[in-house]
Amino acid sequence: MSDKKKSFKNSRIYVVMFALGTALVFGVLITSAATMLKEKQLENMALDKKTNLLEAAGLVPEDKKPSPEDIKQIYDTHIRQVYVDSRGRIIKDPANSSLQLYLIHTDQKIQGYIVPITSRGLWGKIHGYMAFEADGETVAGFSIYSHSETPGLGGEIESNWFQENFEGKKILHESGRLVSVGIAKGKVENLPENLQDHYVDGISGATLTGRYLSEGLEETLTKYEPVSVIFRQRQESQAHLKTILEE
Amino acid sequence: MQTDMSHYKEILIKGIWRENPVAYQVLGICSALAVTVKMSTAVVMSIALTLVAAFSSLIISSLRRWIPSNIRIIVELTVIASLVIITDEILQAFLYDISKQLSIFVGLIITNCIILGRAEAFAMANNPADSFVDGVANGLGYSMILVAVAFLRELLGSGQFFGFSVIPGFLYDMGFQDMGIMVLAPGAFFIIGLLVWLKNSLPGISHEKR
Repeated sequence: MSDKKKSFKNSRIYVVMFALGTALVFGVLITSAATMLKEKQLENMALDKKTNLLEAAGLVPEDKKPSPEDIKQIYDTHIRQVYVDSRGRIIKDPANSSLQLYLIHTDQKIQGYIVPITSRGLWGKIHGYMAFEADGETVAGFSIYSHSETPGLGGEIESNWFQENFEGKKILHESGRLVSVGIAKGKVENLPENLQDHYVDGISGATLTGRYLSEGLEETLTKYEPVSVIFRQRQESQAHLKTILEE
Repeated sequence: MQTDMSHYKEILIKGIWRENPVAYQVLGICSALAVTVKMSTAVVMSIALTLVAAFSSLIISSLRRWIPSNIRIIVELTVIASLVIITDEILQAFLYDISKQLSIFVGLIITNCIILGRAEAFAMANNPADSFVDGVANGLGYSMILVAVAFLRELLGSGQFFGFSVIPGFLYDMGFQDMGIMVLAPGAFFIIGLLVWLKNSLPGISHEKR
């Protein structure tokens, strides 16, 4: 009897049926888990993006963790999402080539703008935001919301000390040329003084992540340079942007 | 009942200490290197791995009489992979920040040899209750090493404990410096190596009979 049972257990038909059954049961399990949790995950992602946007803009109170409602409220009062064309002008009907931009405003006055950053990383894409002051050259903040760098090494790009480093850096050389902000190898204080305004401290053990992120920043900022140029021509830009806000 | 309890105790001690998956069987080293830079990631990883080890052993053991032997590894992996994916989904829904830090390593629990090893070596040959206890024991054994390594690496490498600075400032003023190598993979190799040596040289509780 046991012999017969054993041979049946290894018969082709039983093996195929068992494999199909297993695949079906676990397939249903995974699908239902993914479907049930999808909404919550998307909510987390959207909230995380908004939080990062506000962090880049320096609008999140530092002493306590804001609730989701706080984030939503701050976002709605201070951030306006717009699209710009390749000349840096804000347009109403976004085309494929138009760039996304976020304006930071308080009481109808433009405080600065936020540029979404996409960069290559060591293991995957790095996504974040870089906020600028209204002068079009000073970095107001930087934050990263998604990456797949090695935890503890390249993953440190999402830590506060690294992101705070960017505050106050200049993307323009004295001569008016765009130089972007680079990630130094080691500490900034070891660099020549005239470069210190354009570099932030590197992460030990994550040289490649730093290099790719530097390249990505430069690439993105070059694309957004027309926008920054408009901001640098103060009065004109304020007038232009104000009409947008008033709409 | 008495014998039952001592029987489970035996399985627990074996998994956690005598045949500790990391320190004795030297399994699961890859993730032990990767997630031990900080305590918070190590603890979440430990919990995730222990849960997956326990429930995959339980499920595989309950199915063991029906699993055809020539596709048993595939079936074992299907069970393990499904549990890991579900764990990952739950982390993304409820512990989003930590899940971002662990990134790919939750997914890599699937390839952690501890889990497949227990499924193949224990769950296929024992009853579900024993297998469940064995999964918990091995998960805890792994967690113990992981947390010890993370504690030392975070303390020596960044001067922190769960993200709080614990090394007093005056030591830094006197010239104390964080050990950069502890943040890197070699730091984990050194500590795991030292722990293996320590465990195997403790008198009386060593696995080597002298």
